[in-house]
Amino acid sequence: MSEKLIVDTRVTVETPEGVDFQFMIAGPGKRGMSFLIDTILKLGVVVVCLLLVTTLAGISGEIPGIGAGIVLVTWFAMSWMYGSCFEAFWNGQTPGKKSQNLRVVRTNGTPIGWFEAFGRNLLLVADGMLVLGPLALNTVGLLSMAATRRMQRLGDLVFDTMVIDETREFISRTAGITYGVDRLRRSECNGRFHVPERTLAVIERLFEGDRLISDGRREEIARTLSRALRVRLDFQEPGPDPRNPNTYFVQTPLKHTTFLKRVLKTFSDDPDGRATESEEDIEDLAIDIIDETTADMARPDSPPENQLGELTAGAPDLTNSMPGVTQQDSGPLDGRPS
Amino acid sequence: MNRERFIRQRRNDWQQFETLLTGMKNRRLSRWSGHDITRLSGLYRSVCYDLSLVQSREWGARLEQYLNDLVAQGHNCLYRSPPRSLDTALKFLSQGFPQLLRARRHFFFVSLALFVVPFVISMVIAAIDPVMAERIIDRTHMEQAGENYSGDLYQNIDAKFAEERSFMTGFYVWNNVGIAFRCFALGVFFGVGTVITLLFNGIMLGAVTGYIINQGFADNFFSFAISHGSFELTAIVISGAAGLLLGWGMIHPGELSRRESLRVHGIDAIKLASGAGFMLVIAALIEGYFSPMALPHSVKYVVGTMLWALVFVYLVHGGRETTDAGTTIDSHRRRFSTAHSAENAE
Repeated sequence: MSEKLIVDTRVTVETPEGVDFQFMIAGPGKRGMSFLIDTILKLGVVVVCLLLVTTLAGISGEIPGIGAGIVLVTWFAMSWMYGSCFEAFWNGQTPGKKSQNLRVVRTNGTPIGWFEAFGRNLLLVADGMLVLGPLALNTVGLLSMAATRRMQRLGDLVFDTMVIDETREFISRTAGITYGVDRLRRSECNGRFHVPERTLAVIERLFEGDRLISDGRREEIARTLSRALRVRLDFQEPGPDPRNPNTYFVQTPLKHTTFLKRVLKTFSDDPDGRATESEEDIEDLAIDIIDETTADMARPDSPPENQLGELTAGAPDLTNSMPGVTQQDSGPLDGRPS
Repeated sequence: MNRERFIRQRRNDWQQFETLLTGMKNRRLSRWSGHDITRLSGLYRSVCYDLSLVQSREWGARLEQYLNDLVAQGHNCLYRSPPRSLDTALKFLSQGFPQLLRARRHFFFVSLALFVVPFVISMVIAAIDPVMAERIIDRTHMEQAGENYSGDLYQNIDAKFAEERSFMTGFYVWNNVGIAFRCFALGVFFGVGTVITLLFNGIMLGAVTGYIINQGFADNFFSFAISHGSFELTAIVISGAAGLLLGWGMIHPGELSRRESLRVHGIDAIKLASGAGFMLVIAALIEGYFSPMALPHSVKYVVGTMLWALVFVYLVHGGRETTDAGTTIDSHRRRFSTAHSAENAE
């Protein structure tokens, strides 16, 4: 396990309530986009100001000194104060950041103050330095982002801030687990091509990265569920490939594990959009979960659901046999703050 | 309590929390009603509890992520930086800034030396030998600078500036504050950028001044520059001090970790830089509107001297009567030592 390095853009923050939750760090792509939008806006404001002054001057005949002064002050404000003021007043967001759903927060998750907003934006001068030539904009900032875990540019490092991505989207929960595994093909299964969400959740838990069980033990645990699922889906195990039978025998010791992975990949990433839900879907998530499970439980009469009943009934046993898993039905919710 | 019952029970609260959040997130703090705040914070705490429960019982990644998002949003909504008013800004400028500068005076003096020493040297050289000055600055620029302060033009300086005062003020804000901010920001490269900026500006200004003295326009020049020079030069030196402070945080973290040291020094540095920016805006107003006025030189010298005295009093005595807030690093140390002693007591 130790050779697996976790590359992740999430940062865990502990709230004063003692709960750990995670922020997603914004990468250079989104930040670059928001930077671009902000730059265009800044330039736009200066140009509009310039046009206004020149049209007014066109009426009166000559460019008034006060007009030129206003243009210069606007230019100054746009180049130095734009980011700071927006971030200070909009709780860490500029229009560009808002459009990309980004926000600047302190590394402990709390919102930034005025001085942090001001300082990190002044340091854009340093971050924006060209090192490799005119094409390599913001080189210093990019290098610094590449070198720090929270992808902080110098301005972020000095003022202890980070840019988080507030886009609420589910990364496919099976990412990583099912990599390199094929989906189940309909032709391989003769039964009803469906696996309930609850069973998927059980499979998912079996593969959760931090579970310290060996492959052999996992295969053992997987066997119960895998067998039941094979019956339910009426899955036809493909025989050895005559051209390369060796692969078959290499894979057989872990065939139940592989099968569960395939099930997980097939039914949780299905094109119905289970994996990439839109915002409205997420709001209904809780209802979704309940509806699925209650619907499954409400129809115990039809034969396939009976099998399902067996499966889900088997699930707690399965988890009980796994080390480090608390029993689901343990303990009432005591001490809930109301 | 199994997962389904849990979800069924808590679902209403989650939805309530979410609708409440979307309603309140973008509203100003002063528009929040007391009832809403109580409800929001109560719900937030219970959602936190739900999250930790789901985390510990491992009730699925989707549910966990859903609650995680709720908590993250609630956290961003509830934990805000304290609202800053004009009052706090004024208090900072009148008290906090001079206090901080005094606490960090070593950096101010180093920055002062880095600016004044090259200034004096290049001024003396240029005053004695204008050919040397031309090596520093382009001849045409030099001559133009000389012309600006030659006797004839100076008589008309008010007429010449009258229509352009606002323009010049805008220019001074744009140019000078920009220089100061850049001087501060480049300090992040171990202070090197700041040192270069200070030396460069010192040499340039010194050369121009020396050349003008050499050409015999010293009186015109000094009477023009003395008033705004008070705020302007001091502020440039202060922004230099801010940059050096930033660089120092990188070079010498002392008893802190480098990360922590950067943070502590960074906040102090940006405070100094903000104060310098404020002083430069004042300087730009003086330079744009007062300095070019056609007044007798003696009046300008008197006003200029008074302004220097004002700056001195402001920086040396500002915020003296209140208890010294100290620098960020001091408060950090204090917090650390109290925490430490508390630990020891246990």
